Amino acid sequence: MVPRKVTIQAGATGGPTKDITVEVHDLDATPWGADAKLTHVGRDLPRFDGPVKATGAARYTYDIFRPNMAYCRLVRSPHAHAVVTSVDVSAARRVPGVLDVLELMRTGGRITFAGKGVVAVCAETEEALDDGLHAIEIAYEVLPTAVTTEDAARAGAPRVDPKRANKVTTKRGVQKRGDAAKALAGAHKKVSGIFRTAVQTHSALEPHGCVVEPNGDGTFTVWASTQGTGSVRGGIAKALGLKPNEVRVISEHVGGGFGAKFGIDEWDRAAALFARKLDRPVKSMISRRAEHLVAGNRPDSIQDLSLGCDEKGNLTALAGTVLGTPGNGAGGANAANSRVYRIPNLDMTQSSVSTFTGRQRAFRAPGHPQGVFALEGAVDMLAHEMGADPLAFRLQNDPHPLRQAQWRLGAERIGWDAKRKVAPGAGAGPVQRGVGCGASVWRSSGRGKWVVNLEITREGSVTVSNAVQDIGTGTRTILAILVAEELGIAPGRVTVRIGDTASPAGPPSGGSTTAPSIGPAARGAGRRAKERLLELLVGEWEVASDAIRIENGVFTASGGKRATFDEACALIGPEGITVSGQRRRNYAGFHNETAGCQFAEVAVDTETGIIKVERVVAVHDAGRIIDPLTARSQVVGGVIQGISYALYEERQMDRNLGDMVNPTLDTYRILGIRDCPRIDALLTTMSSGFNNAGMMGLGEPTTVPTAAAVANAVFHATGVRMLTLPMTPRTVLAALRGAR
Amino acid sequence: MKAFRYLRPASVEEAVKTSTPETAMLKAGGMDLLDLMKERVLTPDDVVQVPAVPERVRRVMTGPDGMLLVGALVTLAELAEAMAGPLPEVAHAASLAASPQIRHRATVGGNLCQHTRCGYFRLLSMPCWKRGDKECPVLQEGGVQENAGIFSNGSCACAHPASLPPVFAALDSLVMIQGAKLERTIPIADLYAPPKRGKLTDTTLAAGEVLTRVLIPPQGDAQLGYSEIRQKEAFDWPLVSAAARVVLRGGKIAAANIWLGSVAPTPHRAVAAEKALMGKPFDDATIQMAAAAVADGATPLPGNSYKAELATVAVKRALLRAAGRTK
Repeated sequence: MVPRKVTIQAGATGGPTKDITVEVHDLDATPWGADAKLTHVGRDLPRFDGPVKATGAARYTYDIFRPNMAYCRLVRSPHAHAVVTSVDVSAARRVPGVLDVLELMRTGGRITFAGKGVVAVCAETEEALDDGLHAIEIAYEVLPTAVTTEDAARAGAPRVDPKRANKVTTKRGVQKRGDAAKALAGAHKKVSGIFRTAVQTHSALEPHGCVVEPNGDGTFTVWASTQGTGSVRGGIAKALGLKPNEVRVISEHVGGGFGAKFGIDEWDRAAALFARKLDRPVKSMISRRAEHLVAGNRPDSIQDLSLGCDEKGNLTALAGTVLGTPGNGAGGANAANSRVYRIPNLDMTQSSVSTFTGRQRAFRAPGHPQGVFALEGAVDMLAHEMGADPLAFRLQNDPHPLRQAQWRLGAERIGWDAKRKVAPGAGAGPVQRGVGCGASVWRSSGRGKWVVNLEITREGSVTVSNAVQDIGTGTRTILAILVAEELGIAPGRVTVRIGDTASPAGPPSGGSTTAPSIGPAARGAGRRAKERLLELLVGEWEVASDAIRIENGVFTASGGKRATFDEACALIGPEGITVSGQRRRNYAGFHNETAGCQFAEVAVDTETGIIKVERVVAVHDAGRIIDPLTARSQVVGGVIQGISYALYEERQMDRNLGDMVNPTLDTYRILGIRDCPRIDALLTTMSSGFNNAGMMGLGEPTTVPTAAAVANAVFHATGVRMLTLPMTPRTVLAALRGAR
Repeated sequence: MKAFRYLRPASVEEAVKTSTPETAMLKAGGMDLLDLMKERVLTPDDVVQVPAVPERVRRVMTGPDGMLLVGALVTLAELAEAMAGPLPEVAHAASLAASPQIRHRATVGGNLCQHTRCGYFRLLSMPCWKRGDKECPVLQEGGVQENAGIFSNGSCACAHPASLPPVFAALDSLVMIQGAKLERTIPIADLYAPPKRGKLTDTTLAAGEVLTRVLIPPQGDAQLGYSEIRQKEAFDWPLVSAAARVVLRGGKIAAANIWLGSVAPTPHRAVAAEKALMGKPFDDATIQMAAAAVADGATPLPGNSYKAELATVAVKRALLRAAGRTK
């Protein structure tokens, strides 16, 4: 097994590119270069699961109803900080239909966030369950609380962890290079601002939860709404004291995850314990309110930044402090506000402030939307100070070769030059329009050595299988395309079986890694299967393997030898062909970071403070794009979530009670269809080089720059800098009032 | 949700009878009621469906005197359609509410009897003065005040969110209420009462009284405008709504009604703004002056002073619409 050295062209089609020499694993397919001519890869193909999702036929975990199924839910603490002084479940046990009760906390147990489960109840019906939950009597000793970052950072604030202060600065939170203080002191121009962003909850349409069913032989089947079928299998197995292979997890469709759905939670564990004890299927899906309170969120941020440049407009230094709350945990609240641009001197101290609130979870580009909002706000301010065009100023300071091209592409599409000629406040009447932009940055070329199985029968059926879940990103469809590309058949001929741990383990969907982690394995499997078919043809035709050509699904060799894919499959024995494809360690690539940038056009009603985003142009790259249609859909989804973050989303907490007052989807506003602008999703055609398919990840970077672009557009429209998200009538009118 | 009996009386008289016990509640479209029942803020033993008979409860009709008679069970979608000709601004208000799906279920009667959207009131685990607790948590420093009222918010800072009451009030509408003995007709303003500790509804309806119709008097040459300020184009509640009705005589304003929604526990009449209009020409200067008077007597909380600004803008825009100055 000697690795072979190949040189491929990585980079964008039409440039920039660079030639990369890599050692390709013996069993791996040779990476496609930027110049590869491909048939199915790179063509729009509607996602396979589109029709069932559009018609409602798709079965999500919420739609699973098993014979004799019971229901589980938790009684949750309404207090953020309290000690449980008594729990009385006797009345609940007497409620008709209540099957069992499980105490999750003991008397004396301390609660550090509203929504913590105290008792789990299991009942025959959802109605009996509701009665049972209301019959539980829990007494609390309510303690002083602090639910906002500022309240909890104050001296004398109650401590979430009694053993340490709420404010924690880890080594990772301190970033230093050069001498930022000196550089700022000597800067030609300098700007400062305190940027604030609100806690955002994931608000996936399908809440967290699962159905756990005993199979009768000591093993269990679990349906779960998850971003990691493997992590649920491990979690449930551990909860029940089983081996992972005694638990099968199925996740056919997932109604949104955004980073909050890994592993299992206390409501899943309770369902597993009830299912085993009662020996019947148990469903445990949490409420919308619990979803907001306990199932994850994006930390808020208070980013106090100073940014300076020299007389030529080159950025010289960035310094500042960042506070953010990870909820009742300790870390994960940093803001990614120092990436993107070339800044030689940096001095940033980021601290997380524990509060008595539900814990943060990874949320679509953790740290980035808030960090880029602040960074790009500061860059915009500095460009303004310099009297420079904000785009020209960015081009001057942006080291990413691809983003350089993307800025120009996006600017042209939105009509930047003409629109920027309009001065702030120049519109007649109260509505002012403007355009702004922001940069994206992410790092994801996939990881792991995942294995995909591929089966072909003599009848010509092709099945690719892996346990990976499709969280809405098009995983099903791209696996089929990659296999089809190798076999020379239409992608629609490939059956994809995923979301089931009965198949080989699949990657968790985090960090925008699913496609580049599993896609190369699918291509590898297709390659191996094709080799097996060629072996059969070699035997049949008595020609050398390399004398056989494949074009448009037809195998040909000299002497008029010709076989369609079906004819070739007919040579397969009754045992069929089963092969595996395995992903290999990452090779060298074009650039470690994906680039991307977005431009927004807004209309600001300066009398009401209401902002409408009228158009967004989003330019992104993600290595080789397997299905541009599903990829553009990712971009559109990221932009929608980004506008929602910019204008609406805000967890509103009562600071005395420590509870959320808007835990519904009508009071926690989310961008709706009538508020959705025209979104142009442009993809840079390229190949990254990192793996045999040249793929990178796209899910997260698409939501990174949106809020920044919108806020910068508001500045262009009104001349007023929005330092606070979300930009609601309250915050916008306050900013406009401050400027008057 | 607590188990309940669902009663479907065949007549308004029977509905009056079955809804008389304190443990019964009337249901029209059920949009608001069922939400509150799920949270157990409301826990009726009997849910009494307002019957769709006689026809007057279900339809929009024109009376012999030119009155428009709007049945309580007319949906918001039907109201928007029926008013497009005679009173386009009423149609405008009805067509802005919620989402198309909800407008096809939600009724005029339900909208008039809508409970507050105050998050504290609607979450049983939160304290709430209106639900009987000692203090309104919104009024405390640290309470979420963004959505609260800015008028009459001394003991309860909730806001009356419905969009139709200000419109109907501006039109001097009446509501017909069927009781056990007789049917009474009252000005719509009298349908609402200031909040009381422990009283869950916002209306003056007694147990067993069924709101059956809204009567809109003929408007002659009165000019009407409705404006609503809200963040989202659909599926959102107004931050502030305003309805204005102006009658001109000899080029001067001879009568003016201005009502606001979402600013107080009940629909709020902007008396000072009305006064500012009287006797003046209906021009921009007058409109500005009237709008400036809207916030008279407002007591915004530290967290919602922006709503006083919005109230001013909403009234200005309602008046501009009434004047035919904007679409």
